[in-house]
Amino acid sequence: MAALQAAAKKFTAETGTKVNIQAVTPDDAFLTKVQAAARTNDLPDVLEVHANGDDLAFGGAGLLEDLSKDVDRTWLDQYLPQVLADGTVTEDVYRNSQTEGSKTQGVEKGQRFSVPLTVGTQGVVYMNKSRAEEAGITEAPTTWEGFVDALAKIKKAHPSNGGMTIGVKQPSTALEWLMQPMAYGMLGKDRFEALFGPDAAKGWSSADGQKVLNTYNQVTPYWVPGTQSKGIDEADLAFAQGKASFDIGGTYTLAFLAENGYDADNLMTFPVPPPKDAAIPRLQLSPFSLTGLSVTKKSEHKTEALKWLKFLSRDGIAADFGKQALDVPPNALDKNQSKTLGPVLNSMETAFGSGAKAYNAGYTAYRPSLYDPGKVGAVLAQFTPLKSRTAKSTGAQMSSMIKSYWAEQKK
Amino acid sequence: MTTETGTVRGVRPAGNGHGDGNRTAAGAPRGRGPLGRMREKRKQAAWGYLFVAPAILLFALMGVYTIVYGFSLSFAQWNGFWPEWHWKGFKNYTDLLGGSPTYWPIVKKAATNTLWVVIGVPLLTVLVAFPLALVLNSVKRFQGILRSIYFLPYVTTGIAVYFAWNYILEPGGAINLLLKTVGLGSLQEPQGWLGNPHTALPTMIVVMVWSAVPVAMLLYLTGLQSLDGSLLEAAQIDGAGWLRSTTTIVWPLMKPITVVVILLNVRDSLQGFQSFLIMTNGGPGDSTSVLGLETYRLAFLNELSPTLGLASALGWLLFIAALVVAFINQRAMRRMG
Repeated sequence: MAALQAAAKKFTAETGTKVNIQAVTPDDAFLTKVQAAARTNDLPDVLEVHANGDDLAFGGAGLLEDLSKDVDRTWLDQYLPQVLADGTVTEDVYRNSQTEGSKTQGVEKGQRFSVPLTVGTQGVVYMNKSRAEEAGITEAPTTWEGFVDALAKIKKAHPSNGGMTIGVKQPSTALEWLMQPMAYGMLGKDRFEALFGPDAAKGWSSADGQKVLNTYNQVTPYWVPGTQSKGIDEADLAFAQGKASFDIGGTYTLAFLAENGYDADNLMTFPVPPPKDAAIPRLQLSPFSLTGLSVTKKSEHKTEALKWLKFLSRDGIAADFGKQALDVPPNALDKNQSKTLGPVLNSMETAFGSGAKAYNAGYTAYRPSLYDPGKVGAVLAQFTPLKSRTAKSTGAQMSSMIKSYWAEQKK
Repeated sequence: MTTETGTVRGVRPAGNGHGDGNRTAAGAPRGRGPLGRMREKRKQAAWGYLFVAPAILLFALMGVYTIVYGFSLSFAQWNGFWPEWHWKGFKNYTDLLGGSPTYWPIVKKAATNTLWVVIGVPLLTVLVAFPLALVLNSVKRFQGILRSIYFLPYVTTGIAVYFAWNYILEPGGAINLLLKTVGLGSLQEPQGWLGNPHTALPTMIVVMVWSAVPVAMLLYLTGLQSLDGSLLEAAQIDGAGWLRSTTTIVWPLMKPITVVVILLNVRDSLQGFQSFLIMTNGGPGDSTSVLGLETYRLAFLNELSPTLGLASALGWLLFIAALVVAFINQRAMRRMG
């Protein structure tokens, strides 16, 4: 909020146009408010949205302006190559929108409903640096085995608060932020995607699926007690308060930790690593747009709104915004501008990669379009941390759920 | 004024139910024939309608409109943003009742959990509230203060209370600490009382009972205080002890209150979901998912999926279930009497 307000002040000084910023949280309150505002023709000129999510759903429903003609090559050239297509209706998005029950129904190929504001990725491990050093760990682990070893060492040195947390009360977290990046590195792109595919023989009950689940299970002894009943914010708070030594999140977690008093210098961050014998050793994470900016269709200040979006996308403005908000900007910044973001954001940027050898959590076209990560994650939570299922029954249940999502899609 | 008075007098005989139209007509002042009376009646009715109009309008807007709207939505697919609904007929209902391999398992699990809540909460509430009311009724001093103390859970803000319970039930929370302090460390729940799938639902039931007891206790207390003391005195003279007179005289006389307490709690248990949303979000796993929570999730927490119609259908199914349970409950209580 403060970072956006600071940018708005500069924008007003430059153009004379005033920008009023209003924050509405959490997500469900935001969506309810947008819904009510849309029905009473009271939407603001610009909305910050979840990129490749809200933007496409709102766009399909006719609430947002198609920006495809306004966002030209010069504008796009400022962004990281990995996020250029974010906010647009790609072939995959269009195909999914045709499915019965799809949330993006109504979109047309080639439309663009948002431009990136913040980028980042899930699958970032936050480790308490001083506790790690006490346990003799001076470098970030690069393999799953090294990660489990670090967990064991710190837990041994700090039995009551040496463990790991993630916020399994929203059960998709452990599935998407921890197990999936490891599985992607372990199996490589095609075999990983097959786990979610329509062919159950290659799913979670297969040898690949069981190998992933059993490897993932190695972290079971190191969960902080009660992780399964903590939400994401509560888990981050537990780490910030020293009740856990590891916190799994995304690039966006840094801002929350800092807001809650955690000293960023006491952090060692690294991407969730794959095992030693992985198909993709030294896995990198592909950044994707976390949030984007959209212009509402009934806005009476379309020109000014577009100017505001263009202003925020400038390298200098984006770097300042990122620094103040502790969020990674979507721009392809040069070295000097990157330095201004600070050492932690910089270390995250260096973990970014692209292509098939980088895990892109934002790419989900391989899953059935009605797939619900919360429900599948709830089954995984019964395996670990709850220990109430075996790898075999977890795999069978996950496979069965994915099969039912494909069945619904094919109806 | 005179005319007005005369009119009232003229009308009254008919209103008294004598049914003699001729007499009434004859008794009416000149110029106030059947037509005049009709006009006057209409005028009175108009005033009546005018007075009740705000309430009717409000009910039409907030009640009838939303009920009709919600019911229609249960036959459609919509995400709250599309300009139009996509009509699905009974598909939402059939999907929820076994037709969809995606939604049926969710509904089945939530229905089982809800059933436990619907049985557990009313029963435990009665079991706690009635003895509490008996004890409070026999206390002669500080009864007012004690009653207020026991009523506190009801007047405390729900959300804040649920968060407080979360802290109390954590692995390092007050319950575990208390158990350890009194030497019952083996009973501690290392994952927290809401973190273990086996204890989460029973714990939620206890929290709900804690919130429900104050009103039930107050209802029982009111009932006990209005009891005819001579009944109990007579029983005591006949040699009945405290236990005997409580079980054979007081408890049967409290039956109407018990019916109300059970009905109120059955309704709350069927439709309530706030405590589940805040304290467990249906977890761990799906061990505390209940139908009310699943309805809310389908409506508002489904990442813009077009499941508002499904949520509405589930809401109506819950409504029907509530009616059936209330009917069965009333019949059962009547038979017991």
